[in-house]
Amino acid sequence: MTSESAWKPRLSAKARLKFDQLARQEMLLFPEAALILNETAAAIVRLCDGERPVGAIVAELSREFHSRDPAALEVEVNGFLDRIRMRGLLE
Amino acid sequence: MIAPRPYTPRPYTLVAELTYRCPLRCLYCSNPLDFYRARNELSTGQWRLTLSQAAELGVVQLHLSGGEPLLRPDLPELVRHARSLDLYTNLITSGTLLDEDRLRKLRESGLDHIQLSIQGSDPANAELVAGTRSHESKLETARMVRKLEIPLTLNVVLHRLNIGHVRELIALAAELGAQRLELANTQFYGWALENRRLLMPTLDQYENAEQVVVQQIARYRGKMEIAFVRNDYLSGEPKPCMGGWGQSYICINPVGQVMPCHAASVIPGLRFESVKDLPLGRIWRDSPAINAFRGDDWMLQPCRECPRKTIDFGGCRCQAFLLTGNAAQADPICRLSPHHAAVEAARTEMAGDASQVYRDVRNSRRLSARD
Repeated sequence: MTSESAWKPRLSAKARLKFDQLARQEMLLFPEAALILNETAAAIVRLCDGERPVGAIVAELSREFHSRDPAALEVEVNGFLDRIRMRGLLE
Repeated sequence: MIAPRPYTPRPYTLVAELTYRCPLRCLYCSNPLDFYRARNELSTGQWRLTLSQAAELGVVQLHLSGGEPLLRPDLPELVRHARSLDLYTNLITSGTLLDEDRLRKLRESGLDHIQLSIQGSDPANAELVAGTRSHESKLETARMVRKLEIPLTLNVVLHRLNIGHVRELIALAAELGAQRLELANTQFYGWALENRRLLMPTLDQYENAEQVVVQQIARYRGKMEIAFVRNDYLSGEPKPCMGGWGQSYICINPVGQVMPCHAASVIPGLRFESVKDLPLGRIWRDSPAINAFRGDDWMLQPCRECPRKTIDFGGCRCQAFLLTGNAAQADPICRLSPHHAAVEAARTEMAGDASQVYRDVRNSRRLSARD
């Protein structure tokens, strides 16, 4: 499940993050669908800039959300990244 | 007039068919048989207004389609306008009219993605289906798109003449650097239905292809996404068409008629209003044609009491009409449909010598005069 630690995920060129005014939520847009993102998911995607390894993303989120359980957060982040990578949304 | 529903669903996707004109004559074309009548196309201003209204309604995704949208000289302007509305903008093209200049201009206008069709992996076979010499220039276009680093989906419509080549098609897409490959089995409407005896694969061919695709999906995972759109006649499962009629998709044809899908004009008795006459939001909410099959009040048996009605919505309304004469019937793909025998028969009606009906203006006039 866990992505290799050296991987620095970057949103793929075809995907675009958009703040949706109607639903007041972030959306991830790509040619065949749109994903509505919750707050955590949107924060993860924003950190996928091709410069941060997954570990740094987890650390950043942990600070941002004052997480009391970094291990659980790491599982959540890895799961989400793997899911959207399978859909070709990360490189 | 049917009373407006208390709750109007939010549309997310707009398919804008800018023109039905096209340099290709594909045997499986999804445009209506009477496309030649749609000559009074929307103006640039009308499309701009329509896109703005779509964005207000909640549309986030725009597919610029046709015919061949590149035949509209105002394409870059429409792309620019769409991007100013923050719409994800995808160009669906046959790729024969693109040179590097036009492509750069589209990229600078903010185009997000290109979906390019090819008809096969070898030129002779591909051009038999397209009815034109086009294969090499399409490959050239694909290379140009990648050179300019525009995200690319390659789309191949599968049928009896090319379904044996899925392995080669996948290799070709990978070589061209596509991010995504859509292997879409022919859906039998319009021109494809006219050519069904020629295009329907055998069950063997279909199952072999599906097996190869499943293996290759695993092989290319993370590098190139491969999507396989099923042939419903052969898979036997009714498709949840458009995620339900009038739910999240809007299709607008070249003359501005607002429809739940690109094939819906085939159903008689439905009058699709045009954005030339009314604002898009009002049509989407109040149009009797769009409300005709929203929800499930319209369903007959066996759909009405079927536990799957919330999963497949009774299948496709256009297919129900085309195969039973009544759009409110269950899609005959379903084996519970009283008309399922029509589908059973079509699965084996192949004829290698059936004559080809190419999609062009001459045939469009001829077939429209038939009704």
